[in-house]
Amino acid sequence: MTRLQSTSVLAGLAFAAATGAAMAHHSFAMFDMEHPIEISGTVKEFRFVSPHTILILQVKGADGVVKDWTLEGGAPGLLVRDGMSSKSLKPGDDIRLTINPLHSGAEGGSYQPAQIKFKDGTSVAAPK
Amino acid sequence: MRFQGMIGSIALTMAVIAAPVAAQQPFDESKYPAMAGQWLRVGPLGVFDSTKPNGRGQQAPLTPEYQAIFEANLAEVAKGGSGDDPVYTCIPEGMPRAMNLVLPMEIAITRNTTYIMMEYLSMLRRIYTDGRAFPTDEDPSWMGYSIGKWIDEDGDGRYDVLEVETRNLKNPRTFDPSGLPVHKDGATVVKERFYLDKANPDILHDQITVEDHALTRPWTVLKTMRREKKPIWVESICAEGNIHVSIGNQHYLLNGDGELMPFMKDQPPPDLKHFSQPKK
Repeated sequence: MTRLQSTSVLAGLAFAAATGAAMAHHSFAMFDMEHPIEISGTVKEFRFVSPHTILILQVKGADGVVKDWTLEGGAPGLLVRDGMSSKSLKPGDDIRLTINPLHSGAEGGSYQPAQIKFKDGTSVAAPK
Repeated sequence: MRFQGMIGSIALTMAVIAAPVAAQQPFDESKYPAMAGQWLRVGPLGVFDSTKPNGRGQQAPLTPEYQAIFEANLAEVAKGGSGDDPVYTCIPEGMPRAMNLVLPMEIAITRNTTYIMMEYLSMLRRIYTDGRAFPTDEDPSWMGYSIGKWIDEDGDGRYDVLEVETRNLKNPRTFDPSGLPVHKDGATVVKERFYLDKANPDILHDQITVEDHALTRPWTVLKTMRREKKPIWVESICAEGNIHVSIGNQHYLLNGDGELMPFMKDQPPPDLKHFSQPKK
């Protein structure tokens, strides 16, 4: 899958309060909410923008090839209230997180702040 | 006679002085319930009736015609589409959907107007409480024209309830992101009762009744919000990073490099007839 394809699928609002439903700006139908997966990689870019923050992660696959995964999260307003800011992640940070992957199989998904950890196990989000 | 005339002049002068002083009485905040401040949604995201599951689970009292429209929207969402939800281009949700409260809201009460400011999509509600009537020639808007009335229900000299009616709404609107539709005539009327919970003043209720020609009967739900005592105020400008694009009647996406991408599988590209095409 090319980066072009992986970045084509961006979607909905990840609501950190475990409501189960995450439809706000638009539908979450493109994500597999029933089968989350864990991925790890290096932050390439963290876009702290409305309506949805975007995390681009460089992930090494089983074949050893590194690909960009495009992960969409909640609006900055939600992330701030979950203890994140525009400075929480920077290029080069090694993280692991649980995501809801794309049904299409492309490299992308949705994330929630509480599911992101640095390599040493500490949480990225620090709820206020 | 001259004395009577002088008395009359003095009386008139006193009345003129008194009138503006009476109109400038300070706003007595103590007469109003403690609704000012930031409020957060209680309950799941993205539904109108917070007590029921989304989609068909909402059991919206739609007419057969609008149930069919809703089913078509749900089918498109199931395929990964946006199901007639107009908000993906960052236009306001409008009423009553704004009260689904994706992000926090702030209430500010003034003498003649109560403002409800929504962080999501920067939506602003003005609820006029100065006794005016609905206008007959005002253009419609997504948030509508709202007239409110403060009511002292328990007779203790303090207001308890804000009753609001909102008309003059503009389309396109839906009840929620699943594409639960309102009637295309836009003639929705929204009636609300805002009141603090009697047992817990940090809980605010908004009983909403919607009258719409897409419905077989008025639809009433109870929204609940909790007070945020240490509010964080965040700017939320949807257009900043929105990667959803509307071209013609199609919904496309922009990828990380700003290139146009299909939103759904096998989607046709946009018509480029107004662009110079490179000769092959």
